[in-house]
Amino acid sequence: MTTADDPMHALDLKAEVRRAMASLETPAPYGGSTTSDLSIDEELNLHSIGWEPVELVSGLSVVSVPWGAWNWGQGEISAASEAHEQAFRYAIARLHNDAAAAGGHGVVGVHIARSVHPRHIELALLGTAVRPIGASVVTEHDVFVSDLSARDFTLLMVSGWQPLGLAYGASFVYAPRRSVGAVLQQRSQNVELTNFTEAMYSAREGAMERMQAMALALKGTGVVDVTVIEGPMPFAPHAVEFASWGTVVRRATDVHRRLHPRMVVSLDDPVVLFDARTLS
Amino acid sequence: MSDATNDLPEATGHRLEELEHGLFTSDLSVNEFLLIKEVGFHPVGFVMGSSIYHTGFQTRKWGQSQELTKLTEAMYNARELAMTRMEEEAAELGADGVVGVRLDVNYYEWGKDAAEFIAVGTAVKAEDGVSRLNKLGRPFTSDLSGQDFWTLLQTGYLPQGLVMGTCVYHIAHRGLGQTLSTTGQNVELPNFTQALYEARELAMTRMQDEATRLEASGIVGVRLEEKSHQWGSHTIEFLSLGTAVRQTSSEVTLAKPTTIISLDN
Amino acid sequence: MGNPSGDLPEAVERRFAAGAFSSGLSVPDFAACLDMGFEPIGLVQGFCAMQWGWYTMGGAFRRGFSPYGGAPGDYLENYQCPHGMRSAEHRAWGQNYEQSWIEGAWREGFTSAYSRMLEEAIALGAHGVVGVLDTVGEISDLGVIEFHIRGTAIRVTGAPPSPVTPWTTYLAGQRLTKIFEAGYVPVSIIASVASVRVWASCITEYLLEGLGMSMWAANSGPAEVEQMVSARTAAREIVRAHARQQLDGDALHGVDVLVSEREFERGDMEIQCLLRGNRLRRFKDFDPLPVPQPTVRLS
Repeated sequence: MTTADDPMHALDLKAEVRRAMASLETPAPYGGSTTSDLSIDEELNLHSIGWEPVELVSGLSVVSVPWGAWNWGQGEISAASEAHEQAFRYAIARLHNDAAAAGGHGVVGVHIARSVHPRHIELALLGTAVRPIGASVVTEHDVFVSDLSARDFTLLMVSGWQPLGLAYGASFVYAPRRSVGAVLQQRSQNVELTNFTEAMYSAREGAMERMQAMALALKGTGVVDVTVIEGPMPFAPHAVEFASWGTVVRRATDVHRRLHPRMVVSLDDPVVLFDARTLS
Repeated sequence: MSDATNDLPEATGHRLEELEHGLFTSDLSVNEFLLIKEVGFHPVGFVMGSSIYHTGFQTRKWGQSQELTKLTEAMYNARELAMTRMEEEAAELGADGVVGVRLDVNYYEWGKDAAEFIAVGTAVKAEDGVSRLNKLGRPFTSDLSGQDFWTLLQTGYLPQGLVMGTCVYHIAHRGLGQTLSTTGQNVELPNFTQALYEARELAMTRMQDEATRLEASGIVGVRLEEKSHQWGSHTIEFLSLGTAVRQTSSEVTLAKPTTIISLDN
Repeated sequence: MGNPSGDLPEAVERRFAAGAFSSGLSVPDFAACLDMGFEPIGLVQGFCAMQWGWYTMGGAFRRGFSPYGGAPGDYLENYQCPHGMRSAEHRAWGQNYEQSWIEGAWREGFTSAYSRMLEEAIALGAHGVVGVLDTVGEISDLGVIEFHIRGTAIRVTGAPPSPVTPWTTYLAGQRLTKIFEAGYVPVSIIASVASVRVWASCITEYLLEGLGMSMWAANSGPAEVEQMVSARTAAREIVRAHARQQLDGDALHGVDVLVSEREFERGDMEIQCLLRGNRLRRFKDFDPLPVPQPTVRLS
């Protein structure tokens, strides 16, 4: 807000800049070599609720899918589902480890790079470990991991909610076969292919149930910002994938605090954004 | 090029007359339109200029990096012609300047080695009737959007013209001996570094010379573009473009931005 | 080329002598610059073109006979074949190793271009360079890689020339304003690269692609591919360690990590990590800000 009582804007910017530059002539007076992939907006958001970035952290995993897993069959391809679950579990565990070692209480803005190949599933997580300013180290068990941006994290905290961790679930299934008779019979009709519908339904349900079970295990009351991926595998069109993940949240205060947003009309066109990278 | 004030095709005459009687056309968005009105300008019409140019050919030496001056001249003149014609349309409308200028090059099936250079933009006129023509007595041109135009005027600067410089450069092929002797090493090739340096600097210097002619205090939003057009991969056009600006008042009226956190996706 | 200010091309000096400044800043960034009390003085840039090859140490075929020994201090891991057999199809060993010569060549190219840009900035009497943009790209089909770094040199209006090297940052505009308001001052841009070569062992090949001797594979369920996890983790750790070495007690902000992998032939690949960010120094104590006003756009 542009008000006189706002300490940020009470500053004389030009004087502040000169003071800042003068400090370059002497060695760093304040220690603390932090690294982060947050933007300045995200860092200021974190600061406004008393949190700070600590360290850039990563966790990854590559899990093999056993030979023959995608061959024609029926029901769930449990080897693939299991490999997917393992890849997430190992990668998150390593991220936890990395964050706890750096002194973080949680990891925000986790970027999830995932790819499913015929013989292996790859997962790479990258995010910034954060903590309440100056807070001491917590045990690895208490570190939360979230794919919410620092901005979303701030808004959640301001409203009285806290992230608890990532929940995920995946289910790979074979598309059911139709008998030759059925194919011939259905060729000229507009009918629902009920066995297909059912198979898709149960696969979707399977993935969501796994995610929900994990959320409950984390003692969460909700999952926000859920990403859903579904469709046939490019390398095995008769196999279908359903995968979902999101951040588990729980209310941290007695009541939900309303934000009361202000309405604004923006005169920016979508392409007009502040960005230094204009020189291209 | 600039002394020919009335060589516009006849067909445009009628449209311009209509515009002077109050109707304007523009490719500005509503946001841009309102912001331009906010700083006391009125759009008077959509203007364009075009030039179809035969870019010709110039022999290059296989092993030597050099500027291809004939091609450089052709690329420069063609753009300059298109721009000048657009300025003429704007002057005809009594405009003070043109905003949102886009420069494009089109190649057509029917004309080998010929290219059409087009400049389009929206002509604007100051509502207070005080002339904002540039030092050369011509409407200013700029590639600024309506938002940028508004912001720039808040800082006490006024656009003077879209300035550009170009340099068509041939980068030497490397002799077989040279290639073999450095195989297996990642090493600097000083000749290449020097050639690329030179080509881009030439383009930028030419752009800067244009700004100096306009007695501008500076150029904002400089872009460096590299294109091979239809000459093959060793011949590259380095084009630098920007809007020359002049400080007209030392008063900065830009308000302190409010820090907000948007709940929109 | 190491001799400062002496090797600027003639054209640069002519450009700098001209009266008007040039800047790569957009109008909003330009406005923010004036707000901070900076005046843009010129677009500055530096280049370095390098011959580039993705060769392996000692040539690829040599590795069929004995593992690479590794350079001192570099990451290196060997994976022995547990089956005790050797043939053209079955690899007796696998290896992960850091290609420090590639990292070194990359650093040399980047640093040369960077210091040439700084020379230009110093020649202009700049205090800092804002809105830095770097590109590393191949020049057509020449087997040449060009490092090109550019930015807008600025001077604090009315201040004497600085005794220290100009600071540099990828940021400009309001983002930079907020850096100062948050109590930071930019020091320099930071870029580092890590390159890890993976020569897959028989087990890794089997787990990744199902190739080789399946009857020796002990497990039939999903299993983690240790060699790949190790190589990828190492690449990310090396790149972070390189960056941290350049910090000297300062903070690294707004990091961007790009990971690329290329496979040269079956079972032979390179993992490359590129990290870029802004080195910032805290010049005053942290001063908490109010939570920004939440807004909803009416549209």
